[in-house]
Amino acid sequence: MNANVLDKAPATPCSNATATDAPEDQKLVKRAQGGHLEAYDELIRRYQERIYATIYHMTANHEDANDLAQETFIKAYQALKSFKGDSSFFTWVYRIAVNKTINFLKQRKHKTHMSLNDLDFNAEHDPELVALVSDKTPRRDVNLIELQEKLNGAMQKLSETHRLVVTLHDVQGMSHEEISKIMGCNTGTVRSRLFYARQQLQAYLSDYLK
Amino acid sequence: MNPAPEEFDALRKLLALKRHEPPPPGYFNHFSDKIIARIEAQGLCTRNSWWHGLFPEWDAKPVLACAYGLVIMGLLAIGVGVSQSLDTEEAAAPDLARPWFAQAPASDAVLPVSVPVAQASLSGQTNPASSVNPVISSGAPSFLFDVNRLKGEIERINLP
Repeated sequence: MNANVLDKAPATPCSNATATDAPEDQKLVKRAQGGHLEAYDELIRRYQERIYATIYHMTANHEDANDLAQETFIKAYQALKSFKGDSSFFTWVYRIAVNKTINFLKQRKHKTHMSLNDLDFNAEHDPELVALVSDKTPRRDVNLIELQEKLNGAMQKLSETHRLVVTLHDVQGMSHEEISKIMGCNTGTVRSRLFYARQQLQAYLSDYLK
Repeated sequence: MNPAPEEFDALRKLLALKRHEPPPPGYFNHFSDKIIARIEAQGLCTRNSWWHGLFPEWDAKPVLACAYGLVIMGLLAIGVGVSQSLDTEEAAAPDLARPWFAQAPASDAVLPVSVPVAQASLSGQTNPASSVNPVISSGAPSFLFDVNRLKGEIERINLP
């Protein structure tokens, strides 16, 4: 693995980042509530990638994710005065993003159009992913791009809530507790939804899994 | 519900593929700028005044703001009352510690003694003094030319 590969390492799971950023977030939120846009700009920069990624994995469409991510931050700014700090800013803004995305998906129900982002350079060098398309995989002829499309297609077959749980836990690496705060349910519900979603995905992708 | 980790191991590895789907290069370079521009264009940004910076909790608790206001009004009323009572005390008893040139000129306490005399002496005037008609009449008091009254005054003075 060369230096270039290390530089382009995939986004790490974000569960630990929330706790350490919280005090600094509070200061920025206070300043943003006072009308300081540069403080809000900093908050956007902190969470733009994670918010975009969550919406993108939910919609499987770059343009929709772009629009929804922007609207999420604008809506969050409008509602910022009402933010009392009962939860972290991270959880609060995630909740706005999730609600916006689920509402959008309910309206879009019948016109699903995938507009996937290209896989990065790392994907071809990830040993676990290489193993998936190696001769150990039942479908030996499959390549990574095809696998990406099949995976996203299978994700789109899940209900919004099940897709969200899989996205937040298995793709973004959040804990059950964090997901329960974002979704407003208990951890038991998160676990059961995750189990069901994984079962569904396993069934849809059985050709591509050992 | 807590399935064995290895049950979905291959699936979780496959789902990791989704972490390799970044947006187009440079996508986030101006992402926040676009949002800030939209916020400004929609007129959503309103900078708070300086007292919001001092007392940020006022927005959240209007009752607290009212309580602050009442306390300040109360203190103001007490201050005015105390200053008025001090003024009247000073007027009643001139400050002897002050030098004569620093003392107030004719005080209200002395004036009432002479007022009846002044009023009696000027009672014959036809135009009473007022703010629109100040006492600048050059004529002499009328009793000066009243001979009978003048005699009575002389007799009263020369009683012994």
